[in-house]
Amino acid sequence: MAAQDGERRGERLSELGPLPGGHHGLSREQILESQRERLLAAVAHEVAARGYRATTITEVVKLASVSTRDFYEHFEGKEQCFLAAFEAVRDHLEELLTAAVADQPDWPHQVIAALRTGLRFFAAEPDLARLCIVEPVSATPTIAIRFREVVLACAPALAGGRAELPGGHSLPQSTEDSLLGGILSLATRSILAGETSELPALLPDLVAFTLSPYLGAEPAAVLAAEARTQ
Amino acid sequence: MLTFMQALPGRDSRATLDAPPAAVTRSSAHADQRRRILRAVGELVAKRGYGDVTVELIVKRAHVSYKTFYKHFSGKEECFQALFDSVFRSTEETIRERLAAEPGPWAEQVILALRTLIEWIVADPIIARAVIVEAPTVGPGMHERYERASKALVPLFRAGRELNPRGAELPSTIEDTLAGSVFWSAYQRLIVGEAELLPELLPELIELVLRTYVGEAEASRIARAEANGQPSLAAG
Repeated sequence: MAAQDGERRGERLSELGPLPGGHHGLSREQILESQRERLLAAVAHEVAARGYRATTITEVVKLASVSTRDFYEHFEGKEQCFLAAFEAVRDHLEELLTAAVADQPDWPHQVIAALRTGLRFFAAEPDLARLCIVEPVSATPTIAIRFREVVLACAPALAGGRAELPGGHSLPQSTEDSLLGGILSLATRSILAGETSELPALLPDLVAFTLSPYLGAEPAAVLAAEARTQ
Repeated sequence: MLTFMQALPGRDSRATLDAPPAAVTRSSAHADQRRRILRAVGELVAKRGYGDVTVELIVKRAHVSYKTFYKHFSGKEECFQALFDSVFRSTEETIRERLAAEPGPWAEQVILALRTLIEWIVADPIIARAVIVEAPTVGPGMHERYERASKALVPLFRAGRELNPRGAELPSTIEDTLAGSVFWSAYQRLIVGEAELLPELLPELIELVLRTYVGEAEASRIARAEANGQPSLAAG
């Protein structure tokens, strides 16, 4: 399954193809932009297929139809290229999540919408799932630390649920961190098994797990069941 | 507060990487070499990352010859895998022994297992870093090994469903998710070099796990007792 997804993405990349040589009437900015996009797509594909360590700039530039010299116009090295791809996905996902939670009536439904959007996004983009969720923890220390920052940046949104707690109740400080770790752990399992298409099916369990500490087990279970049917 | 930081039962069985042989027979020398090699690869991987470790560095650190190294292992990867397997086996064994030595209610068993795991990490943060932080970097094979190892707590957690009248309705993945949370927390502390802060986190991890099965009030009470170093459980 993962191999098929990889091949499809490879085909899409080769559709992008190199620009024809000569005066094609594009500005330098446009050429650079096109190269950069192809390089980001290529690094995602390569990292998904081989893992970060085994990914080489040689293979990335080949897939992107960019010269090695041009690669270094854009990035200092493999790590920076990976980080650029990671940040591009992060930015895009943030836009999607912001839009998804905007029309939700309350915090629990915002969490559900956010989880659903994230799961659907990565189910549709298996390469990006590996790039963003699986590989960062094991790539380089710099990448792992950046990954940690991005994950922890989600904690305040989750912590909004503490306002839902009945008076006098409190949660351990590490609750949000632990919940995020659990969510990532479950998603990682599906991605490693090559079952990214199954990510959306995790939604009810993740809703129950995430909302339980704030709302209680039974209200969380009701919302999980509701999420299953949508 | 750190009352558990005394000589641990089962520590001998866990110190397979350090203990010197009693008498120098051929087989004990062989085992000792293996131990030194595994210790060396763990320390090197923790310090430099798996990618930068070479067989040359390993043999130098372990004070063995290349010939000796290749008698035990075909290369760096097999060596590191052997370390991982050995650490996993001995930690699992230590936990199992402790649970058997101190039988008690389920919640107490969970506390004991988590406490033992954290004690091991704190006692040997270098090797813990090698197997928890660095192992996933070694490639898909190791990452899957790691995922499987981190799920070893799942059967213990799952037994808690019997305490919950609605246990059968819990999400089927909850144990995997909880185990993932525990390892994520350990990983986070190791990656920033703060393994010694893990014991402080133990009561919160206990509460996270127990809440699912015994409810928030009971989990909170037990976690607080643990934090205060008191025996946490009345009978049942």
